Amino acid sequence: MGFEDILHVIKGRRSIREFIDKEIPREHLTKIVEAGVWAPSGSNIQPWEFIVVDDVKMIEKVKLVSPGLFGNPKALIVICVNRAKYERGGSQGRLIALMDASMAAQNIMLEAYSLGVGSCPIASFNKLAVKELLKIPEHVEPVLIISLGYPSKWPDPPKRRPLKEVVHLNEYGRPYEG
Amino acid sequence: MSMEDLMKDEHFKLLTFLIVSARGCVDEPHLYGPLRLIDAASKLIDIMSREGKAVKELIEVKELIDKNKHLVMYDESEFVRFLDDLVVRIAKLIKST
Repeated sequence: MGFEDILHVIKGRRSIREFIDKEIPREHLTKIVEAGVWAPSGSNIQPWEFIVVDDVKMIEKVKLVSPGLFGNPKALIVICVNRAKYERGGSQGRLIALMDASMAAQNIMLEAYSLGVGSCPIASFNKLAVKELLKIPEHVEPVLIISLGYPSKWPDPPKRRPLKEVVHLNEYGRPYEG
Repeated sequence: MSMEDLMKDEHFKLLTFLIVSARGCVDEPHLYGPLRLIDAASKLIDIMSREGKAVKELIEVKELIDKNKHLVMYDESEFVRFLDDLVVRIAKLIKST
């Protein structure tokens, strides 16, 4: 796979909020979550834990406490950070753990897209309720839910801020001309 | 009612959505408050529809909400215009009664 292929996958991924009624094969779920494990990690601490939820009843329960979770996904990956791990990172440990979790989330969503599976990252869920439902221990914090399923459609891309607005060359404020 | 039945009850689902959303609104972007309210309105129209209480105009309101609620993430001013449109529709519905 070349650079153009990777950029194609990055640009093609969308946040999917409407899914069709089709199961995701377990081997694809495994590949998707494995992509998360291969994300970069500050100091190689790998503070993450991933909870794959594919039980229909449990998905429904998590949906009840997740106002930002739309549609009827076939699986969820609850990305958590483990305090016992990230404390090794010093006072910045939690912040870096959140960055690690975010990079893992992107890996997961890109791998899902490459397999034709739609995804959506969800931060609007109640952490206390999700911890209770999924029996997550006190020192493990759920930070993001990725919903997964086959999309009813791939929506058009939303507008992106242009490169020359967000990229600076050598110093802040000097426009980057691509 | 058994706990199993409670999980399937649409009123209960709406109730949990409202409570969890109330907590979420404390920390979330301010326009997510309106988003949760209209999402709850859509769920309520669903319930009314199943109970045979939703008139055609309300079904249209639900369809509009489901189609446009995600504008909040892409175009805030268009989202607010959409809320205005919903209010006018509801006002017309009230006026016609």
